[in-house]
Amino acid sequence: MLVKRWAICILVGLSFSAMAATPQDLLKSYEAQSGKASPVRGEQFFNAKHGKEWSCASCHENPPNHDTKHIVTGKVIKPLAPSANPARFTDEAKAEKWFKRNCNDVLGRDCTAQEKADVLSWLMTVK
Amino acid sequence: MKKTLFFAASLLLAASPTFAAKMTMPADAPASYEAECASCHMAYPPALLSEQSWKNVMSSLSKHFGTDASVDAKTQAELTNWLIKNAATRQKYSETAPENRITKTSWFIRKHDEVRADVWKRASIKSPANCGACHIDAAKGIFSENNIKIPAK
Repeated sequence: MLVKRWAICILVGLSFSAMAATPQDLLKSYEAQSGKASPVRGEQFFNAKHGKEWSCASCHENPPNHDTKHIVTGKVIKPLAPSANPARFTDEAKAEKWFKRNCNDVLGRDCTAQEKADVLSWLMTVK
Repeated sequence: MKKTLFFAASLLLAASPTFAAKMTMPADAPASYEAECASCHMAYPPALLSEQSWKNVMSSLSKHFGTDASVDAKTQAELTNWLIKNAATRQKYSETAPENRITKTSWFIRKHDEVRADVWKRASIKSPANCGACHIDAAKGIFSENNIKIPAK
């Protein structure tokens, strides 16, 4: 019985550590689905408008290393750069959810794995 | 006896305006309310909209006031049930909000009719949806007229 409990604890612990990710892990996974990331391209993508009203920088500003405000509601948005906010890009499902929402807002479509890789690689260089 | 009654009545009268201005956040808000909704705007107390309005909001999240606010099916059901359970019940607040906007309800417009158009546009206010810009305790669900500070810029 005791052994069983230990086994469960270890299994639960393992599954948690499998869920937690680092920005490097996410970058690798996006690169694996596309090509090598380009921070330069990522920064241009971040600053540019893509046929709609907003850019990424409309809400996150450039550099996104400080608290910013949502362009419509004024609600405070925590920094996007992992250097300023270590919680960023440590949960794959959360990152994917926000890419889906915000890419739809900025581009009117999903972002490609290459675009995500580029932007993330640039964000990881922001001090 | 008469005195006590009078005292009780005046207490009630004194308390009622505050009561009307209080929209407390229910203690059982699901964690997803903060994570999914309040990441972009204030966590509006559910009593600010009617049941039908919340249903309308929650069934159109992919087109949510100009942004994509979609959530997964499980979260959507959880949030919808909680919002409906705590939706406005008093007659005064129970209309179906035009465009699903709290700020387009007749009670909201009436309550804010003295606020000039240029005030709404100030940089620190930006939008009538930014309750906390002027209602300093909005996050606690307090919208009393005694708790208002309109920023100058």
